Amino acid sequence: MSTEAMLASELRDTSHGSGQSGHVVRLGSARGNWFRRVGWRHVVGVIALFFAIFPILFVVSAAFNPQGTLSSSTLIPRDASFANFDTLFSETSFWRWFANSLLISLLSAALSLFISAAAAYAFSRYRFRGRRAGMLFILLVQMFPQFLAIVAIYLIFVEISELYPAIGFNTPWSLILLFLGGALGVNTWLMKGFFDTIPKDLDESAKVDGATHAQIYFGIILPLVTPILAITGLLSFISTMSEFIISSVFLTEDSAKTAAVGLYGLISAQRNANFGVFAAGALIVAIPIVVLFQFLQRYIVGGITAGAVKG
Amino acid sequence: MATVTLDKVNKQYENGYHAVHDLDLEIADGEFLVLVGPSGCGKSTALRMVAGLEDISTGVMKIGDRVVNTLSPRERDIAMVFQSYALYPHMTVAENIGYGLKIRRMDKTEIRRRVERAAEMLELGPMLDRKPKQLSGGQRQRVAMGRAIVREPQVFLMDEPLSNLDAKLRVQMRAEIGQIQHDLNVTTLYVTHDQIEAMTMGDRVAVIKSGILQQVGAPQYLYDNPANLFVAGFIGSPPMNMGMGRIIRHGEGLGLRFGSRTLALTGSVLTDHPSLGQWVDRPVAVGIRSEDMEDAGVLREAAAPDSTLVATVGLTEALGSEIVVHFDLDVPPVENEETRALAEDSGADDTGLRSNGTRFVASFAPRSRVRIGDQIEVVVDVARLHFFDPDSGLTLKG
Repeated sequence: MSTEAMLASELRDTSHGSGQSGHVVRLGSARGNWFRRVGWRHVVGVIALFFAIFPILFVVSAAFNPQGTLSSSTLIPRDASFANFDTLFSETSFWRWFANSLLISLLSAALSLFISAAAAYAFSRYRFRGRRAGMLFILLVQMFPQFLAIVAIYLIFVEISELYPAIGFNTPWSLILLFLGGALGVNTWLMKGFFDTIPKDLDESAKVDGATHAQIYFGIILPLVTPILAITGLLSFISTMSEFIISSVFLTEDSAKTAAVGLYGLISAQRNANFGVFAAGALIVAIPIVVLFQFLQRYIVGGITAGAVKG
Repeated sequence: MATVTLDKVNKQYENGYHAVHDLDLEIADGEFLVLVGPSGCGKSTALRMVAGLEDISTGVMKIGDRVVNTLSPRERDIAMVFQSYALYPHMTVAENIGYGLKIRRMDKTEIRRRVERAAEMLELGPMLDRKPKQLSGGQRQRVAMGRAIVREPQVFLMDEPLSNLDAKLRVQMRAEIGQIQHDLNVTTLYVTHDQIEAMTMGDRVAVIKSGILQQVGAPQYLYDNPANLFVAGFIGSPPMNMGMGRIIRHGEGLGLRFGSRTLALTGSVLTDHPSLGQWVDRPVAVGIRSEDMEDAGVLREAAAPDSTLVATVGLTEALGSEIVVHFDLDVPPVENEETRALAEDSGADDTGLRSNGTRFVASFAPRSRVRIGDQIEVVVDVARLHFFDPDSGLTLKG
């Protein structure tokens, strides 16, 4: 309303105003209007950008700062070099750690996605005894952080390591196994909510068309839930990529470490903490997450079910 | 092509709710049978049992000669059109239509051929590469039909397929579905709550209420010979007028005391309803269709006083071809379980309107010039009166 009133007053100004002064008034008010409607967003955006980019700049700067200390780091390093990266690649098993991290994160993300989607589908579509109890149970279990059970888990894996060393301590498989169970609860709930929004008519229609359960699940339902698959996959990839506590308990041999555990080793020593090398490693670890985000971005848009049933 | 036979089919849910009671139905080969009833009457459940989406509690269900009680939907060779259309949003129109064939691993060129033929029949040709969300409601409805057609199934099942369309499109699609079914000659079970759809589309209509089959028959037969008050009130628009009357001796024969007036039950009434003699001095529920009443003013000769009712016009609706006149008669309304079910279905809560008796609706010839507030004489075609037992709701037979 105020805009129209202002426009009306501007029109009056130009029609009645004599020459120059009328123009000045109009330009002034139009510019004020622009700032109120659009301009302030730019200011907020710039502040937010600065706020977000500052820590990243700092890590980048530390990575390229050959002195390897945080206190000597400035936002623009004085004599930038790849010295930290050289040290990282030559004196540590960084690539090995990185590969371990990727293997564990990718596999546990993919497998947990598969398991949780199947569980969510069952909870969403079928009515069976213990359905409600089952859902509450996994929610309840999820309320406690996994490392509360670290003692129990440790004891279990001591036994496993003795009996089946292939999936025991210092193997990526032990961690994958653990993370699969750990992520199940939240993912199942998240996905179940999304599955519930897919009309049941679609399942039934496919059923009448002659599709089997598997054909309905893989051919009809999964393509419609890609947004939630992308989100949960991404979240579980990121969380395993940066998981530290359990990994540090499970992986003690240098060659079995994940990037998080390995990098921590670089700064954990009191005397020769090398933050430059750490920052260099952290930068590299961030790359797959950023790439994955870019790649999955287009799936995380939703609205894919629009037009399924009347609309 | 096949017959569908339901023999004493029951559906009782685990929580004890009895949705369908002893349903006996036989749908002939190529027949279009409409299952109609108020919402929640179990008609959709019955359809879903035929489809195999609901288990059958007891009874026998046959498609053709096969007992299908325990067969999965895919083994029954049926196609279903859902109220919501249930199109797969991530597939194009062509993929949607061909999905059932692809699942059956049919040859790709054959799928193409059938999809294109169905698309041509439904005028969907230019839409084949679009996604469902790019289509209008009517087009989505056609895709859903196409999906059923290409399968060339033994039976079509349709669950209120038109209720999501606007009124004009509904009339058009009604004709199209009827035409397609006639051309393909596929046995069809069609569920609706709209009695107009039932009347216009069905070869036969089955009226169901609270899970119990009330009557099955050709639409016109149901309209002319309703088995009970519920069918009488449900079939036909406007619904049949009903009021309580009393059979009395009148002159040489019988009469119907209807409010303050008496209608002579002449000639054919007594031969058509010989049992009326047993109802003398007992209350009966009387039904009059709106078209069986006429404004006495438009008749050439004066009507005998014992063939007319008198009322004050409450409302008129001129439709051009007829004038629909609403008026209150000084007769008590018929109140039993069936009329309550009807009132519930129409969503009517018109106790206030009926305070002066019972509201009747009549269709007069357009030359009638009645106005709101006029005192009118209404001639009743007594030969077409319907008589019901007010307790059981059943029509008086014999």
